[in-house]
Amino acid sequence: MGGFVSRGFKGRRRAGPDQETRLPPGQYAEPGFPVLTAGPTPRIDLKDWRLRVEGLVASPREWTWEEVQALARSTFEGDIHCVTRWSKLGTSFTGVSVDTLLDAVEPLPQASHVVAFCYGGYTTNLPLEDVQGGKAWVVWEHEGEPLPAEHGGPARLLVPHLYFWKSAKWLNGLRLLDHDAPGFWESLGYHNRGDPWREERYWGD
Amino acid sequence: MGRLSWRLATVADVRPETDRVVTLALDVPDWDGHRPGQHVDVRLTAEDGYQAERPYSIASAPDGSRIELAVERLEDGEVSPYLAGELRTGDQLELRGPIGGYFVWEPDRGGPLLLVGGGSGVVPLMAMLRRRAAAGSQVPARLLYSARTLEDVIFREELERLAAAGDGLAVTYALTRAQPAGWEGYARRIDAVMLEEVGWRPGERPLAYVCGPTRLVEAVAGHLVALGHDPSRVRTERFGPTGVP
Amino acid sequence: MTMDETDLRLDGNAVAGMLAEMSGFDLTVCWGACAGCGATSQLGAVLVYAHGMGVVACCPSCGQHLLRVARGEGRWWLDLRGLAWLQLDEQARVTG
Repeated sequence: MGGFVSRGFKGRRRAGPDQETRLPPGQYAEPGFPVLTAGPTPRIDLKDWRLRVEGLVASPREWTWEEVQALARSTFEGDIHCVTRWSKLGTSFTGVSVDTLLDAVEPLPQASHVVAFCYGGYTTNLPLEDVQGGKAWVVWEHEGEPLPAEHGGPARLLVPHLYFWKSAKWLNGLRLLDHDAPGFWESLGYHNRGDPWREERYWGD
Repeated sequence: MGRLSWRLATVADVRPETDRVVTLALDVPDWDGHRPGQHVDVRLTAEDGYQAERPYSIASAPDGSRIELAVERLEDGEVSPYLAGELRTGDQLELRGPIGGYFVWEPDRGGPLLLVGGGSGVVPLMAMLRRRAAAGSQVPARLLYSARTLEDVIFREELERLAAAGDGLAVTYALTRAQPAGWEGYARRIDAVMLEEVGWRPGERPLAYVCGPTRLVEAVAGHLVALGHDPSRVRTERFGPTGVP
Repeated sequence: MTMDETDLRLDGNAVAGMLAEMSGFDLTVCWGACAGCGATSQLGAVLVYAHGMGVVACCPSCGQHLLRVARGEGRWWLDLRGLAWLQLDEQARVTG
């Protein structure tokens, strides 16, 4: 990368001193909420929207919008980290814990991995344990407002302990597998797991 | 052949065009010239190594080692407020190019020429018109330029001058948000009716270049094809936010 | 400000420099054929989503992915499965 420094250029980033310790390596604090895109924004009618949890489960299930709203509400408050180096500190999302969904379907013992599949075709893969034990949600509210379409609404997966590309937008469902199945970015050089605290950005990191 | 390596240009002049748009005149060492419609990538580096890169169309016709960019300062932009607000004569700016041979028009491509621009989309079209004038070309040309208000029209005096030269160029504005008192021109967004009134008939087989925000470009290109123009003679360049890693 | 996807959709021109750095060619003038529908386009005319983790180029005819590019830490990753073929013209070479 170049050695020339542009006089007076700072870019958009700003981080207070108390924020620095919350940042994983290589990240900067971003007060906004950048929209990243890899394709057109799907527009899904709530009456057609479904959330499926299927694959290696005893009872695959599908929830309608009303049905998922009736599940136990759960809110995450904390920080999210994008592999493009911005972190948004002290934000909140509300929805349902993935644990609640898994309890309803009863994962089979051989289920070891999950693929999140989405309206528009996006996919991402995770070890099953990364979405269990209070670590993951399906969310439809961000900071008290309905999740906007450009941020993944009606609902997205939320897995805040991993880089945010794992928090798949426009979630349609989760499929439990007995093997790992690299998703959209994982099949294009990004790290299979994506732990920001180990700076697992790319394949081979 | 295009050149890819990053090099340091020196800012020779900074001059306002409108409230939001600034022309940067740059001297680029070893510049081999460019083709009208091409752009450069500009790269800014902060002291901590953070970098931001954006493409900017070259506004000027080829002119030795001097090129001009016209930068619109975007309110929530990261690069444009620096280029259009902070840069001074004598500063250096890292860039590479010229790049992009697709969205190019030169006089030997012929015409008639239909140029449709929205906002800062007029910039590469201006390079084409400046080249056309410098070459003394009589290729018939029509520019349809959509801007919010007359004050937002970039290069207005120069466009008036070029249109008055009597060499076959006509310039039409569509002012979408506000119009001066007594305005008799278009006061709405570009649509099929306007394109039909202003543009060439399909039978005249114009070369069309459409540049600006994605919504405008796709609507205009769609209208042109629906009006019967040959899609292979309609070239588009969409402007918008990029965050290429 | 809300943006719909038309604002974030660009075309091959927006990533010409990056693609030239990757390939050594001005790909905007190079022709490719969609592996899905067979339509041919110069890459300057293909739809591009480039706001974030990588570049995704889509066929202007059928919308399917033509190519995907990511880069990081001195490496590039290319997925060209969406192209039946890509034609590289010597005249489109760029020099370093």
